[in-house]
Amino acid sequence: MNTQSAVKAETARICDPVSLEIIRGAIAAAQSEMEALIERTAISAFIREKKDFYTALFDGNGTMAVGSMVPIFGDMTRPVLEKFPAETMQPGDVYWYNDCYGSYGAISHSNDQVLLAPVFRDGHICAFVMSWAHFADIGGLRPGSISPDATDIFQEGVMIPVTKMIEAGKVNQAVLDIFHRNSRFPDQSIGDMRSLMASVDLGTKRVGEILDRFGPDVMADALAQLLDRTRRLVRTKLAETFDYGTHKFTDAIDSDGHGNGPFRMRFALTREKGADGEDRFIFDARESDDQAPGPINYLMNKGVPGMALGLFYLGGDPSQVCNAGGPNALDEVLFREGSFLQPRYPAPLGLRGLTAMRMISAMCGLLNTGGGDAPAANSAYVVNIMRGEFRNKTGSLEPYLLADGIGVGYGARATADGIDAVYFVAQENYPVEFLEAGYPVTMRAYGVVPDSGGAGKHRGGCGIIREYEILAETTMCAIRIDSVQNPPWGIDGGRSGRHGIAIVNPGTPDEIVLNPLSDGNMLKKGDILRIETGGGGGHGHPYDRPALRVLEDVLDGFVTAVAARDLYGVVIDEDEVNTDATQTLRADRPKVGRFFRQEYVDALV
Amino acid sequence: MPSSDMTFDPSYAVAVDIGGTFTDISLLDRASGRVWRAKTPSTPDDPSQAFMTGVIAVLKDAGVEACDLDQVLHGTTVATNMILENKGAKTALVTTRGFRHVLEIGRQDIPRHANLFTWVKPRRPVPAARIHEIDERIGTGGVVLEELNEASVARVAEAIRKQNVEAVAVCLIHAYANPEHETRVTELLRAALPDIDVTCSTDVLPVVREYERSLATVLNAGVMPGVSTYVERLETRLKDANAASPLLLMQSNGGVAGTAAIRTAPALTALSGPAAGVVGACDVAKACGIDDIITVDIGGTSADICLIRDGIVGLTQSGKVGDWPLSLPMVDMVTIGAGGGSIAKVTDETLSVGPHSAGARPGPAAYGHGGSQATVTDAHVALGHLPVSLLGGEMSLNQDAALKVIDDNVAGPLALQRHAAARGILAIMNNNMVGAVRTVSVERGHDPRDFTLVPFGGAGPLHGVALAELLGIKQVMVPPAPGLLCADGLLAADLKAEFTRALPTSGAIDQVQGDAIVAALVKDAIAWLDEETIPEPRQDIQVRALMRFHGQGGEIAVDWSSTPEETESRFMTAHKALYGFVLDAGIELVTLRVEAAGRTEPSPRPDLAEGSDPVPIQSQTVHWETGTEQTPIYDRATLAAGASISGPAVITQLDTTTIIPPGWTATVHPSAALLLKRSAA
Repeated sequence: MNTQSAVKAETARICDPVSLEIIRGAIAAAQSEMEALIERTAISAFIREKKDFYTALFDGNGTMAVGSMVPIFGDMTRPVLEKFPAETMQPGDVYWYNDCYGSYGAISHSNDQVLLAPVFRDGHICAFVMSWAHFADIGGLRPGSISPDATDIFQEGVMIPVTKMIEAGKVNQAVLDIFHRNSRFPDQSIGDMRSLMASVDLGTKRVGEILDRFGPDVMADALAQLLDRTRRLVRTKLAETFDYGTHKFTDAIDSDGHGNGPFRMRFALTREKGADGEDRFIFDARESDDQAPGPINYLMNKGVPGMALGLFYLGGDPSQVCNAGGPNALDEVLFREGSFLQPRYPAPLGLRGLTAMRMISAMCGLLNTGGGDAPAANSAYVVNIMRGEFRNKTGSLEPYLLADGIGVGYGARATADGIDAVYFVAQENYPVEFLEAGYPVTMRAYGVVPDSGGAGKHRGGCGIIREYEILAETTMCAIRIDSVQNPPWGIDGGRSGRHGIAIVNPGTPDEIVLNPLSDGNMLKKGDILRIETGGGGGHGHPYDRPALRVLEDVLDGFVTAVAARDLYGVVIDEDEVNTDATQTLRADRPKVGRFFRQEYVDALV
Repeated sequence: MPSSDMTFDPSYAVAVDIGGTFTDISLLDRASGRVWRAKTPSTPDDPSQAFMTGVIAVLKDAGVEACDLDQVLHGTTVATNMILENKGAKTALVTTRGFRHVLEIGRQDIPRHANLFTWVKPRRPVPAARIHEIDERIGTGGVVLEELNEASVARVAEAIRKQNVEAVAVCLIHAYANPEHETRVTELLRAALPDIDVTCSTDVLPVVREYERSLATVLNAGVMPGVSTYVERLETRLKDANAASPLLLMQSNGGVAGTAAIRTAPALTALSGPAAGVVGACDVAKACGIDDIITVDIGGTSADICLIRDGIVGLTQSGKVGDWPLSLPMVDMVTIGAGGGSIAKVTDETLSVGPHSAGARPGPAAYGHGGSQATVTDAHVALGHLPVSLLGGEMSLNQDAALKVIDDNVAGPLALQRHAAARGILAIMNNNMVGAVRTVSVERGHDPRDFTLVPFGGAGPLHGVALAELLGIKQVMVPPAPGLLCADGLLAADLKAEFTRALPTSGAIDQVQGDAIVAALVKDAIAWLDEETIPEPRQDIQVRALMRFHGQGGEIAVDWSSTPEETESRFMTAHKALYGFVLDAGIELVTLRVEAAGRTEPSPRPDLAEGSDPVPIQSQTVHWETGTEQTPIYDRATLAAGASISGPAVITQLDTTTIIPPGWTATVHPSAALLLKRSAA
C-alpha cells in the first residue's frame, strides 16, 4: 500500500462513499415528499399555485445540511435553540416563528412562517426538519400584510417569537387561534398551517427512517461530509476567483417608496493570508447606505452572502448540495447595524424581496470584478397587490386580495442568454384561466416585452407584460418595481436590461404612470392596468451575436427590428437578414466597456 | 358466461412490441390460451416492415391465416421518440389575441431543483414566430366576452400557409369551459388548409390552465402527421396481407384504442410502450393470485417504476414526457435514468451512477464493443452475476474488460477493493430505484412492504431481490418471460377511453348539474364503445368526481354517487388516508370523468407441468456480499412447476438472468412465474 492510500485509510470516515450517496438521495426524496404534500394540500393561491414554500434538513447541531436551491436561507435553527435548549426538547415537538429581528434575519419578512421539528433517536436529537411558507395575510396595515406604505414592522402583521407550537405531540391551539384571528383570510391561514404541520410531520418520519437504516453516527458523518464537501468546493473556487486583496462592487436600489433613495449596497470581498497560513475570506457590506424609513430594508442573516456565493459555485452539478458549507466557507461576514442591510428594530422589512434580488446581482458583480464568470444583473421580480371589494354572484360586496407575482428577465451568461420571463426558483405564475376564475379581473394580454433584455452577444432575459381589466367595484393597488433609475447592468459589452413600468389606462387621455414603488393607487371598475417588467443585462458585444439569432429574436417578438439595427447592427427586411447592409453596419463596431449601466464604465463602485 | 357472448370473443390476437434492437411478436389463441412467439430484427427506418415480417412469421408458425386474425395489438414509441428528440412536425399554434407568449413564459419559474445561475430555459416545441393571434375572447365560466372575428382567422390561415408548416394546433383561452370558438376556428382552418392536420385543445385536454393545455395541444399536433403516416402504413400492410382485423394501439393509460381515436389524439400514446409492460406485469401477477405489486422495468438506459394496488393500474394526470408536463391520463409511473448501461464514475471522491448511459453502442465494456467506462452491467459481470456465455450463445461477455473498467474507474480512485467497488455501483443504482419506488408508494400513502416486487425488462431480475431487501419487501415475482412482457400486456389490455368535463365553475356539488354532465359523458362513452364493437356485457363505465377542499390546488378522484353527501364523505375519507388530516372547509367538485372500458376476458392459462428436481447446467464463481461461492446456474426452460431452488443460484433464460442470493429461495409457480422468498430459517 503506498503512503497516499495509507493516509486515506487512516482518516476513513464512518460513512463510506456509497452510503453517503444513498443518504443524500434519501434526504432528497424526503424533501420532495414534503414539498408535494404542501403543494397538494395548502389552501392559499400564494402557496399552492405560486408555490412560495421551501424545505430543508439540518444536522443534530442545527447546521443546515440539505437546503433548497435559493440563496435566501439564513441560520434557521439558532433562534430556536437559543430559546429552547436542545436538552429541553422532546420527540413530537414542533417550533414556530416568523420573528425577523428575533431570528437575526433567518426570516426576513413576517409573512414567512417557519416550522422546525427535531428528530430523535436513542434519546438524542439527530436532525431537524423544516418547512416554511409565505402566508397570504397575517394582519397589518393593508391586506397582504406587505405594503410600500409601511414605516415599521408592526404594520406588517403579527409577530410570532420562537414558540413551541406542538409539545410532545400536543398542539397549543390557543396560540394558533390568536394567529389565525389576526388574518383577514383566516380559512387560508388555518388550511396552510395544517398543511405545513403535516409536511413537517412527514419529514420527521422520513428522516427517522433514514436514521433507523444507517444509525445516527453514520448519518451524522454523512451530513458532516456533505457540509465539508460544499465548504471545500466554495473555498477552492473563491481562491480561483479572487486574488489577494480587496475587491469591491456597488449596486443600488432606487427608492424606499417614501421619496428616499437610491440606497447603495457596497460589497467588498477581501482575501488575505491568516496567521495559520490558511487563506481568510472576509465579506464586508458595512459601507452600504443607512436604513430606509420605507420597507425595502433587508435584515440580512450572516449566512446569506455565503449561501449566495455557494449556490453560484455549485452551478448545475447534481452531486453538490446547497447547504451551510457555503456560509462556512467565509471566515468573516461584516454588516453595519443601522444600514439598510442590517436595520435596527423596528424598521419595516416587507419589501425586502427586491433588495434580495438586487443582492444577487451585486454578488454577481463582485464575482465578475474579482475575475469570476458570473451572469450580468437580473431585474427584481415584480409584485402587484390588488385588494378591494367586488360584487359577487349574489350581488353583495365581497373583499378580495390578489398578490400577483410577475416574472422578469435574468442576466445573460458567458455561455447562454439570460432566462426570459421567470420570477424566481420554484415560484410559479397564476395562470390566466385560474386568475380570472378566482379574482375580479380580466387579463387582456400576457406576453414578453420586446427589447427589455439587454443587448449582447448573449441577450439578457426579457420581462413580461401583464395587462388587467379591473372588474372590482373598488381596488387599491400596491406596485413594486425597482431598477428604474439603476437598470440591471450588462457586462463585457452587453447593455443593461430595460426597466419596468406600470401604467393605468395606457394610450387614453386618463393615462397615468404609477410611481414604481407605491401603494394607495385607487383603480375603478373598467380601468386598464398595464404592467411591463424589466429585463436582464446582456453579456458580450451585441455585434457578436449571430445575425440569425437576432432574426429569430425579431420573429419571436423578443427584439424589435429597430433595436436589431441600432443595437445589434443587424438589418432585417421582410423577415430576412439583409446580409450586405448588416455587414456594412457591423464593420463599424462601437466601442464598449466592462460594465454598462446607462453608459459603458470600467467599474461599478 | 352465456354462449352468445363467445361469438364476439376474438380467438386469435397478435401483439407486436417494437424495441430498439428486436421486434417481439406474440400470437394468442384466446379460446385455448395457447401462445406462439416470434422475434425479428427491428427496422428503425420503417418499423412497419419488421412489424409485418414478424406477424407473418408467427402466423406461419401457428398455421393461422391472416384473415382469421381478430385483433392486432401494438405498442408504439413513435410519438414518444418524436417528443423526446424534438423531431415532431413543424407546427404552428393559433391562440387568443394577447397570449402569443404563453408557451414561452410557461409557469414563469426556475425549476425547484435547478440552479438559477446556470439553468437554461428549454426551447419550446413551437417558437413564437409560428404562434398566431386571432380576435376573440371567452371569459371565465365560458362567457363570450368578444365574438370570434372570422376575418382574423382567414388572415392567420394565410400567414400559416406561408410558413410551410406540417401541423396546426388551436388553443384559445377558456376553451375548456366553452369550445364554441375553438371548434369554429378549427373548422375554418381545416377548410383553408386542407392538407394540414389541425388539432384543437378541447379534443386533447379540455381542462383549465392555458400553458399546460397549449403544450399538450402542440405536442399532439407535432406527432400527428408522423403517427398518422405510421398507422396508415401499418393498416395498408395488414390489408395487403389480407388481415381485416382492427388495429388497436396501446395508450399511455394502459388501455388500447382503435386508430380513429389515436389519430385524433396521438399524444395519448406518449407512454405506449412502458404502459404495455405494466399491464403485462399486472396480468402475470393475477395469474399467481397476486393483486398488489410494484413493477420495476429495467432496460439499458432507464427504469420505469409503477405501483399497482388491488390489480388496478394507477393513473395520473400530472405526468411528464422529457422536459414537458403532459397532463393526459397516463400510467402513474416514475422513470429514472438508471439501467444496465448507466455509467458509474468518481468525481471529487464521490461515486455516482447515471443518468448518462453507454447506450447500445459501445455499451458496457463487457459487451466487447470498446466501451471504456464502468457500467452497471460491468459491475454484475465483475461479481459473477451473469453467466459468461449468455444462453443461446448469441453473445459472450468479456469479463476481463469489465474487471478493468471497474478497477480503473471506480476501485482505484476510491481506494476500494474490486468487488466492494462493483457492489457500491449496484448499491447506488438500487438506491436510485428505491427512491423512485418510494415516490410511487409512500408518497402516495402505500407501504411497499405490503407489495410483491415484479422486476422485468432485460436487467430487472438481476436487481429484484436486492431491491426487495432494501424496501423490506417479502416476495419477488419474476414473470415467465420478463423481456416480453409488453407483448403480454397488449394481449391482456382492455379497450379504454376517458370522457372528461370540467365544471364551468368549481363549487359545492350541484347534483342536478353533475348528473346532467355525467349523462352526456356516458352517452359519448357508450357511442365510442359501440363504435369499437364492444358487446354490452363487456362494456364497463365508471364515473369519477375530482374533488378538493375550497382553495386547494390538487384534486382527489373518488367515485361519483347519487347524493352529494356520499360523494363528499368518500372525498373526506380519501384525503385523510392520503395526507393525514381533513379541513373544516368547503368541498368543491372540479371535474367529472367517465372512464369507459371494453373488458378483455382472461384467456385460459395452460399450467406448467410438474416434473423432476432441477438440475444445474453449469456453475460459476459469484462474489456475494456474504462471501465468494461456487454457484449453480440453472436453465429456466428446464424448470418444472413446483421446483424449488435455494440461493445462492443463478437462473438464466433467453431474455434475462435472475439471481438468487444466499438466504432466498425460488419456487416455480404453475403459471411459470418464479416466486422468490426469504428461505425458512
